[in-house]
Amino acid sequence: MTSRKVVVNVVNLGRIPYGRALQVQQQYVRRHLDSSSLDLNTLLLCEHQPVYTIGIRQALYSAEEEKRLKDLGADFYRTNRGGLITFHGPGQLVCYPIVNLGCFKKSVRWYVCELERTVISLCRKFGIKASTSPDTGVWVGENKICAIGINCRMYITSHGLALNCNTDMRWFDNIVPCGIVGKGVTSLSQELKREVTVHEAIPTLLESFAEQFNCSLSFEDVIIKNGRPVLDK
Amino acid sequence: MAMFVALRCVSVNFPSALPLISRTAQVPTCRLLWKACTPRTLSTASRLTAALKFTDKHEWVRVEGGIGTVGISNFAQEALGDVVYCGLPEVGTKLDQMEEFGALESVKAASELYSPLTGEVTEVNQELAENPGLVNKSCYEDGWLIKMTIDNPAEVDALMDEVAYEKYIKSIEN
Repeated sequence: MTSRKVVVNVVNLGRIPYGRALQVQQQYVRRHLDSSSLDLNTLLLCEHQPVYTIGIRQALYSAEEEKRLKDLGADFYRTNRGGLITFHGPGQLVCYPIVNLGCFKKSVRWYVCELERTVISLCRKFGIKASTSPDTGVWVGENKICAIGINCRMYITSHGLALNCNTDMRWFDNIVPCGIVGKGVTSLSQELKREVTVHEAIPTLLESFAEQFNCSLSFEDVIIKNGRPVLDK
Repeated sequence: MAMFVALRCVSVNFPSALPLISRTAQVPTCRLLWKACTPRTLSTASRLTAALKFTDKHEWVRVEGGIGTVGISNFAQEALGDVVYCGLPEVGTKLDQMEEFGALESVKAASELYSPLTGEVTEVNQELAENPGLVNKSCYEDGWLIKMTIDNPAEVDALMDEVAYEKYIKSIEN
């Protein structure tokens, strides 16, 4: 039995402010919603300037809290993803799969689980033993190495995962990451006691993603115009 | 879950029961039989009452007294996993059919909800603030999300009944 693998196009946005990346995600989501084509699955890779973001449970975070975090020199965004507060910044590999779950399995529970398995497999390839916990995300012992938060609209996913490579971990001291008290955070560099850059982690992440989602990746060139990808050819 | 089983029973009975009623309306025993094998929500027997109707986005609506109660299906709650937060609209919000009206958060995922009908939100299930897991435990009863007016009754008729929805789910799973 042979079935054609789903193709997912990889687009590396490089280092990009969070707000701009949100717009790019929305552009890709819109493209899915406006078309019945199943060939629009995209994996956006990027790295952000320092930013704290929260999910849809916004009442948990006051304007004062927002101001406190902004005063540290970071941006602050209230978003439509699941999950609680997290930090993104340089040294963290952020991956936003904008895929139609109809091409895979129409279950966000399944999807989040596959994202977790993708990162566990990546960690294994780096020689790190990682696991899931009831709190979601991917953990090395009691410390979170990768945060996950997604949105699903009409089976189109957005937001995604954030893997600490050589992130400045002091940014996490100012928050309770993902609202989970009493647990810490870690990074690939911290675990391996050597510098692991985002650049180094990307190929392993892609390999693990392709294996876990049983898809093939394409690296079609995307034309960047005025700092934004041009989607219509 | 139990409710879902009950619905299966109804859907099995529908095709045979309906012609029976129209053909033999004058025979009271058949009437009784029909009533006995339908859940209480169907017992008033008028066309626009109380049967569950489904959208292809897996919301259901039950119409009683001109008000639609809205929730998500058993299939949907299973696909979401444990619901930890329900983001629901304010009473008085006007919704178009298929408009996004909120989101359910489960396993770090926020999934958007779509209004099955055009109308205005008249009530929001307050229990869900304390106990969002009701959406999983009792998706057709205690885990309802909102109640709304029905501005366009024709929209109700166009939704899937339980039989059609079950077929639809099977088509998705294959």
